[in-house]
Amino acid sequence: MIQVIKTVFYFGPLLFAFGFIVPLVSQLVQLAGWTPPLGLSPLIFGLIVGGTYGVIGQIRGRWI
Amino acid sequence: MSLPKDLSTLSNAELMRLEREIARNHQGHFPYLAVTWAFANLAVWLSLWPLVLFGVIPLWVGFIISTLNIMLCYLPSHEAQHDIIGRPGSKWRWLNETVGHLSTIPLTLPYRIAKLTHLEHHKHANHDELDPDASSAASGPLACVWNTIQSGQPRAKGGFNAYGEALARIGRPEVVLDGVIYNIVFYGTLSALAWNGFALEAALLWWLPRWIALIYIRYYLSWAPHHPATETGRYRDTRSFRSIVGNLGSMGMQYHIVHHLHPRIPLYRTPMAYWEMKPILEARGCDVHEL
Repeated sequence: MIQVIKTVFYFGPLLFAFGFIVPLVSQLVQLAGWTPPLGLSPLIFGLIVGGTYGVIGQIRGRWI
Repeated sequence: MSLPKDLSTLSNAELMRLEREIARNHQGHFPYLAVTWAFANLAVWLSLWPLVLFGVIPLWVGFIISTLNIMLCYLPSHEAQHDIIGRPGSKWRWLNETVGHLSTIPLTLPYRIAKLTHLEHHKHANHDELDPDASSAASGPLACVWNTIQSGQPRAKGGFNAYGEALARIGRPEVVLDGVIYNIVFYGTLSALAWNGFALEAALLWWLPRWIALIYIRYYLSWAPHHPATETGRYRDTRSFRSIVGNLGSMGMQYHIVHHLHPRIPLYRTPMAYWEMKPILEARGCDVHEL
């Protein structure tokens, strides 16, 4: 159980990115009435931006 | 009580007797304000969710109120951490523990973790390795803000991340589980709201207000009263200071030195105790020149 918790928390940045940042970016895009480039939907755009940020946060162990 | 005009001739034992006499006069008073504050603050914060989600109040209003709520939620728990509301075995003990557990929910800080690590902070204030809040030390106000942001990063050493080590050191590693549960609930709630179309509401009612509150609380409760945090010892690890936002704006922390010397004095009585005690503090060589 402890190992599971440790693993989950180790991947915290990725989980936070996909759990929170992705939908947040997506909803901000929609709220701003902005159309993402290349015909991307707000959700795909959120996945790209949030996912990338999450991977960076995961590797660096920090967001900023 | 009135103090002798010349304290320089008194021994340390005599100074201590006078100091304790003043402290005794301020202890044992029931902190009605802190108890009312704890429940009212939590009730307002909880009510923001339906009010904002159902469109009764705009999100920006909710954001401001939530930020204030979370900034204010720590101190009632702080009174409980020092058993000020009800000592163990007293008739108000249940209330003490209820306030302790409930008031810091918006801050996502479990009571047992807050209490155990805070008591360690009192025992070892400013000690590089033993003070769980040692990472609050910073060269100036902006450095303190930046330091708090850095300490809150996923794999940072300071901030809440330092509390696990402190709990292990005092033989209470199991209490970390409280933090695990709080974090799962916090991030789980944010994610559930976000994926159901309320990401902005989650961000502005909890995530961002919590960050602002953490910076504010750490600034006034941890950094300012202990700055420059280079000395240890009863009369040198904490100071009084003058806040540009006054005593209310700094949550009464201008007089935090009294709290460190006599933690059982309720927050609302620390200014009175400070002014009565000030000549003794000066005689002891405390840093009380700003106030």
